[in-house]
Order: sequence, then structure tokens, then C-alpha cells
Amino acid sequence: MILGIETSCDETAVALVTQDGEVRSNVVASQAELHARYGGVVPEVASRRHLELVGPVLSEALERGKATLDEVEAVAVTRGPGLIGALLVGLSAAKALAWSRRLPLIPVDHLHGHVASLYLEPGALEPPFLCLLVSGGHTLLLDVRARSGYHVVGTTLDDAAGEAFDKGARLLGLGYPGGAALDRKARDGDPDAYSFPVARVPGFDFSFSGLKTALLYVVRDLPADELERRRADLAASYQHAIVRALVERTRAAAMELGGQPIAVVGGVGANSELRAALADATLAPLPLCTDNAVMIASAARYAPAIPFPQYLALDAYATAA
Amino acid sequence: MLILALDTATDVATVALARDDEVLGERASRAVRVLEDVEVLMGEADLRAADLEGIAVGTGPGSYTGLRMGLITARTLAISLGVPVAGVSTLDALAAGAPGATPVVDAKRREVFTLVESEPHCLAAADLEVEPGRAYVGDGAVRYRDLIEERGGVVPPDDAGEHVPWARHHARLARDFGPGEATDPIYLRAPDAERALRR
Ligand SMILES: [Zn+2]
Repeated sequence: MILGIETSCDETAVALVTQDGEVRSNVVASQAELHARYGGVVPEVASRRHLELVGPVLSEALERGKATLDEVEAVAVTRGPGLIGALLVGLSAAKALAWSRRLPLIPVDHLHGHVASLYLEPGALEPPFLCLLVSGGHTLLLDVRARSGYHVVGTTLDDAAGEAFDKGARLLGLGYPGGAALDRKARDGDPDAYSFPVARVPGFDFSFSGLKTALLYVVRDLPADELERRRADLAASYQHAIVRALVERTRAAAMELGGQPIAVVGGVGANSELRAALADATLAPLPLCTDNAVMIASAARYAPAIPFPQYLALDAYATAA
Repeated sequence: MLILALDTATDVATVALARDDEVLGERASRAVRVLEDVEVLMGEADLRAADLEGIAVGTGPGSYTGLRMGLITARTLAISLGVPVAGVSTLDALAAGAPGATPVVDAKRREVFTLVESEPHCLAAADLEVEPGRAYVGDGAVRYRDLIEERGGVVPPDDAGEHVPWARHHARLARDFGPGEATDPIYLRAPDAERALRR
């Protein structure tokens, strides 16, 4: 059994996953509410909270999995990319746990983790496939040929899709976290009420910064009462533009790569319009879209384990190498 | 009682292994390598993690990231090994290593952490009250050497051991061992975002 730890951003998560990909427990303590008052994730606030939560979340993961630490055979942990101070809390905990029990440690790339949310039983996905990874921090198209990794074929040149959702929600006064709020509001609106242009960049890359600016101009030019009346239409049109860009690029890339099947992972993968537009694709289960430790433990099954005690000087990394 | 002591709140992270009042070994490195040093000490003493009976950990104040790495290490070891934890302030450990001196830890942004009437405080380096003839130790004292010496204070040479919060002192000062979760960091400053909100 693998114990996974994830603290790269604002979720403190611990999970137990078997070598066969069966989820024994999945505990995620979200800090979303804590960061709502700042309108975004504050690294120092997140790190302080991780320190408070890792212990209780670890205990709960064991309790819910009806397991003891004696049954844990390896410790998996997110090494990066993410907020460095936050990552170091999880990595230090993982090292202490592995060292004290003379277990191997498996450092996991957070993005590999998202992809590995598709490798759990029942119904584990078999490569090859083209994976759209969309979250607050990432918008990536990944060519996945083996469970041990991925190859980046497209990325965002500016904002991540999740960031575009958050910024749009802020402009529309929909609160934080913005993705879910905007999704809800959009259901009452007309997606064709406004036409928001999405920049077309060469290759399979994305660009969302122009979209946010376009929304800003529309919102700025609307009288307050009119804005109130059109808020749902704006949300729906804005969301539609993001989803259209994601879907078009993803389908084009899948085609280019020889008609590969499509999979979607990451927090924005919970968006209802995106899920509907890519209904034929393999979609990560809703509870595993946002950051969690199940996906980290799952990825660890396909990543090299570092034997005891060779991992004790291991450092975290903030950005992908 | 076999105690593992560690302090990662300053740039020089320290670890010590102590049995009752005897120091079995002590090492220094950086916060991210602290367990590597622990493993060396345990090997030298022919001991294993499972032999530990308590953890003494530096609770700062100091670098927030470093401090948290030490605390989460102590707390996780406590859960894993079923041993209690005792927190020792990094300033108290510094003071114990240099009797009669005032500990001063660099708090960055022209501020220092120091003891004022035995209590930890964060204050502007310029507001540090210096007693002529008195010694000042810690990375803050090194950083603000000019200021302290100008006011008549004494700062040992930069490479003097007194500037490091050696973990042997944590092992010796540790009292009230209890649950790891109850051992809290001494931050003394709210996060910037929090302070901005209050403004
Ligand atoms: Zn993520």
C-alpha cells in the first residue's frame, strides 16, 4: 500500500492507494474558504495551514482506510511544481514518515499525478491518449504513451484556464474560488449573448489573457444596473469562449497525433460545460479533478522509488524543469 | 530518555542526539537536509529511529519556511514513532549557548527577533536596545553588527559558534513533552496579505 501526500497549493491531502490502483482512502482538507477573503491563494497563509493540517489529515486517512502505518510500503509525495513553501511542508512530512519506518520514498511530479488520476480501478485508462490538463495553475496538452510519464505538446502562453475563470469571476463579482461560481452563474445565461475572441496561437498552445481583457472592457462600459441584468449572459459567454478554445485545440491535437482518444484531468475538468462538450472523452472522476493525494499515490506506482535512506537531502521544485 | 533535537528556524539547521544529559552527537546543515544529518548521527550511535523516545524541536522565531520544515518533521516523527514532542524557542536555545548574551535572529526586511524581558519580540533592527558591553549573538547580531557595535554592544566573530542555535541546547531545555500537534511555531508576524487586509 502506498501513502500519498499532496501540499503543492491550497489543499492538504493524504491518501492510501494499493499497488493495484484501488483507493483505500482519500482525505482532502481544502483551504479555499481561508483564501477566499484574500481573493486568491496566499502562499504564506497556505503554508501555515498545511503545517496545521498534515497531521490530522494523515490520521484521518489511516482511520478511513482502516489501516495502520505498519501496512504502508512506500511514501509518495508531490515534489513540484507548486508553491515552494507549501511543497516543503509535505516533502518534510513524507521524508520523516519514510525515514522513521525505513520505507522507500517516491517523489511525484504534480502533473504526472493529475494524469494518474485516470489509472485507478475500476476502469483504469490505458495509454496512449491525449490528455487535457486544466487547472488553476496549468493548461497543458499531454501526449501520454506510457503510464510512467507524458510529453507536453501544448501549453498556455499566459494565463492558465483556471486563472481565466478566476479572473472572469472576479470581474463579474462572483466571488472566489471563481471557477465553480462562474459555472453556476453561466447556467442561467446565453452563451451566444456576447462574442469573446480567443486568440489563436500557432501549434497547440493556448492564450487566455486577451479574453480577460475583452471581458474587462465590456464590464467597464456597462452601466451598473445593466451589468446586474447581464451578469449571467456574460458568465455564459465568457465560459463558452474558454471551453470552445480548450475543446477545439484538444480535438485538433488528438487528430494530429493520429486520432488518439482524449482524456481530461485537473480542477477545470469539473466544469460542466467542458464535461458536456467532451462527453466522448475519458473524464477524471469529479472528486479527483481538484488536487488530491490519491492521484499522487497513483502516479507513484509508475515512478521510480528512492530506497531508504537515499532521499533525505531531496529538495522540492517550484516550477517544472 | 533518548532525545532527537532539531532546529531549522535559521540558515544553519542543527540536530543533536542526546540521552538524558549526555550529548551523543551534533551536526549542522540546512533545513532541507536535516534528516540526512539525523541519519548520520543515528548511524554513529548505532541507533535506529525506533529507539527514539522524544523529540525536541526549535519553535522559532526565524525563517517561516525553515521553521515549518522542522516542526512538520518533529510532528510527523511523533505520529510515526508514537513519541512526544517538546518545543524550545530558537531564541532560548541561542541564549543557552551564550550565557549573558542577548539572542538576535534576522527577521529579514530590516527587522529582528529578540528576547525582551525573556519574551520573544519582533522589532525594527534600528529599535534594538543595546546595552554597552553586553554580547549579542545570532544571525541577526551578525547582520546588524555595525549597529550593535556603534551602540557599544559586543558581537563575537561572524564564524563564532555562539551565533548558531545548537540543538544540544534544545535537548537540554526541553520540558513538557506532549502531542506533536500541540507544539506550535512562533511566528510573531501575520502574513503580509493578512496585514494588508487589516489596513
Ligand atoms: Zn493541480
